[in-house]
Amino acid sequence: MLTFKLQRWSAIALLVFLTIHMIFMHYVPPFHISFDVVQARLSTPTWKIIDILFLFSVLVHAMAGSYQVITDFESAFNYRKALAWASVIIVILAFVYGAKTIWAFQL
Amino acid sequence: MSNNDTQRTVTVRIQRFNPDVDKKPHMQDYQVKMWPGMTILDALHEIKTHQDGSVTYRRSCRHGICGSCAMHINGRNTLACKTPIINEVKKNNTVTIGPLPYLPVIKDMVVDRTSFWEQYLRVKPWLIPPDDIPEREFRMSQEEVDALHDAEACIMCGACYSSCAVIGLNKKYLGPHALLKAFLRVLDPRDTAPGERLEIVSQADGVARCHTIFNCIDACPKGLNPTQAIETLRKLAQKRQKYEEAKAERQKHLNEPIPS
Amino acid sequence: MYTSTGFISWLLRRISGLALVLYLFMHLWVIGAANSGVQVFNDRLNAVQTPLFKLFEVALLAAVVYHALDGIRLLLIHYFDLTEYRKSLFWAVIILSAIITIVGGGAILVIAFTGG
Ligand code: SF4
Ligand code: FES
Repeated sequence: MLTFKLQRWSAIALLVFLTIHMIFMHYVPPFHISFDVVQARLSTPTWKIIDILFLFSVLVHAMAGSYQVITDFESAFNYRKALAWASVIIVILAFVYGAKTIWAFQL
Repeated sequence: MSNNDTQRTVTVRIQRFNPDVDKKPHMQDYQVKMWPGMTILDALHEIKTHQDGSVTYRRSCRHGICGSCAMHINGRNTLACKTPIINEVKKNNTVTIGPLPYLPVIKDMVVDRTSFWEQYLRVKPWLIPPDDIPEREFRMSQEEVDALHDAEACIMCGACYSSCAVIGLNKKYLGPHALLKAFLRVLDPRDTAPGERLEIVSQADGVARCHTIFNCIDACPKGLNPTQAIETLRKLAQKRQKYEEAKAERQKHLNEPIPS
Repeated sequence: MYTSTGFISWLLRRISGLALVLYLFMHLWVIGAANSGVQVFNDRLNAVQTPLFKLFEVALLAAVVYHALDGIRLLLIHYFDLTEYRKSLFWAVIILSAIITIVGGGAILVIAFTGG
């Protein structure tokens, strides 16, 4: 049930964040993304918070989803504890890496 | 429909498998002369008595209440005894019949339903009544009866279970039939173990494993709605304590008349 | 195999979902170039903003839009008990995804080929 709840909540969060992300990255000028463009955007704290939350929810959603897909197979279902921990670790590692990237635009 | 039309000869294509001689199932055609009102089960009887005694299938009541004759007819799971053959032979004058999918085939249309019953028993399908049984009947309001959505009409035919793609991948999943029964007991005002049941269905192999594919609704020959039952259990499982308390409160007044 | 609109929606959901997971990690890696400095970042981003990648982007948009609308459909069914409308909701999702992909994808291509 925990996976199910994580999946639902992160899905609702993503509906908001992903819409924002898609509109601002693809349909609002400037259309060519470069370091300066991202830096300008990330200089406001609001954008930083939005991007951090977005990163977290998308990782949770992706790994909860992959976990569900994999454990649907009976052979994998028997190892679901190990798979769950592996997913958690991937989320943490990817989150640290992504957060570091967001931080790199501080220069 | 003219008399001629209902009495024409049609092809019944049956998936045959005899574990003693066959490695793989194969299809075999039979010609059957229809009579008005003939069902698929009647056609199978006709073949078994007059053409080929080795055709094997389960049946008992032949009026849609025992649940033995569920099979895969023209790509859909349903009861052979309540399906008129005339509706199924529109394409090429042929009807294709096979065993329930995703289950081990024992012979022809007979499948091994062990996992079906094992999962069923896991949700404790029986009623766990309160300690003090009233002298007269338990009282339920009309709303409480309506909330059960006729779930008690389930005949355990397995049509829903074997239409479910998740069951096809993972036999550890409880399955629509067991969850429908859990729903029936959880919503029943007389049942004293809703918390325990909600605990069982919220495990990794319970309601969270349902991916809302809806095959069970389309398959059920009784017109029941296991998916809705699962959605309801999902909601209740997330507020288990509150629901348990409300139910305990309700049980104090079980043998009082319902205020109209 | 037991096919139905629900089965198709489930397959599409899984395929688009797994594709998006793969894309997500590629995306993290591309943007992660920022950790190695401005020059590396700009080079790597220029590489993925060529017209060819813009075509991929339209496919990506289709996957995102379908996956999102399908999710909205499931949320609606869960919170508003809409199992009886399963078929119409499925077709609504398909048609809406097609429209959004064509309009949104068209815009991406127009922007890409006219230089914005
Ligand atoms: S819910 Fe319907 S399809 Fe499933 S076992 Fe009961 S009667 Fe058969
Ligand atoms: S024979 Fe009993 S349900 Fe068909």
